[in-house]
Amino acid sequence: MKILVVDDSLAMRMIVIKTLREAGFGGHDISQAEDGVKGLASVKEDKPDLILCDWNMPNMTGPELLEALNTEGISTTFGFVTTEGTDAMRDKATELGARFVITKPFTPECFRAELGQYLA
Amino acid sequence: MAPLAVQSTIPERPEVMPQFRSVKSYWDAQHGRHTVRILPGEYYVSTGDEIITTLLGSCVSACIRDPQTGMGGMNHFLLPESCDDRAVVGSRARYGTYAMEHLINVLLANGGRRERLEVKLFGGSRIMKNATDVGERNIAFIRDYLRTENIPVLKEDLGGTHPRKVLYFAASGRVLIKKLPLSENTQISELESSYEQAIIKKPVAGDVDLF
Repeated sequence: MKILVVDDSLAMRMIVIKTLREAGFGGHDISQAEDGVKGLASVKEDKPDLILCDWNMPNMTGPELLEALNTEGISTTFGFVTTEGTDAMRDKATELGARFVITKPFTPECFRAELGQYLA
Repeated sequence: MAPLAVQSTIPERPEVMPQFRSVKSYWDAQHGRHTVRILPGEYYVSTGDEIITTLLGSCVSACIRDPQTGMGGMNHFLLPESCDDRAVVGSRARYGTYAMEHLINVLLANGGRRERLEVKLFGGSRIMKNATDVGERNIAFIRDYLRTENIPVLKEDLGGTHPRKVLYFAASGRVLIKKLPLSENTQISELESSYEQAIIKKPVAGDVDLF
């Protein structure tokens, strides 16, 4: 399966990808994008099965990317991986159709438990 | 006799962002600014002409601002003793990565641009002679992190054996450093140790919400 990691921080993309590997998902095809605009292009080109996306990013934020996907009728499983998870953010994520919000810091166990259902 | 009008010369504190409303400040008469003191594990971003101050032993503080928005902030972190992997993706080094991301995210969420960020680094002293060099580990981490993120360092005062008091003028980016006497090391070391113990006990895990 294909996983797309979208985050403007290279360090954070490295951590998310390392955690995916530690959680046993290293065998999947993992790609990355550094903002929502590049994420959207990557979704259209690579058609990932799961998108793990940061909230705040330049050019196009995570919620804006999810809105754009909704507008284009792309229903790829989408979840946020964010530094801060306020109630307002969770409400917005739910409203937009995100499947989960994972708040950093996270563990391989957390990834395994929560993402396993989408990566079987 | 008519009562004398009491006129306060202390201006109002600049607007405080919602996530920092519980953070108390005090008036620093010497420097004529509202001042926020942060402790190990904390961070603060100012929207105006405030001072952010902290005491550093082996911990490191990054002072980061976007000169165009005029917003600046400071964090204060250390990597735990058990951290044998100081690369930015190491399990314990992630505490440093999160400390940096929290601060940078607030600046970017308020109009900042990553390519404009001005970074100044302080701390990382070797304050306990017999201990492993926690300060060196923290310095190595922050350099590795900023290299990974391609964010240049404008100024730094890192390492050595003296603890530091840092005053960061968030609106201008000016920094005043006071090297404290070695006699202060024990107190600062205790403060940092209690923070380190707290994060070692707390697992590296956040929350998950499924919808």
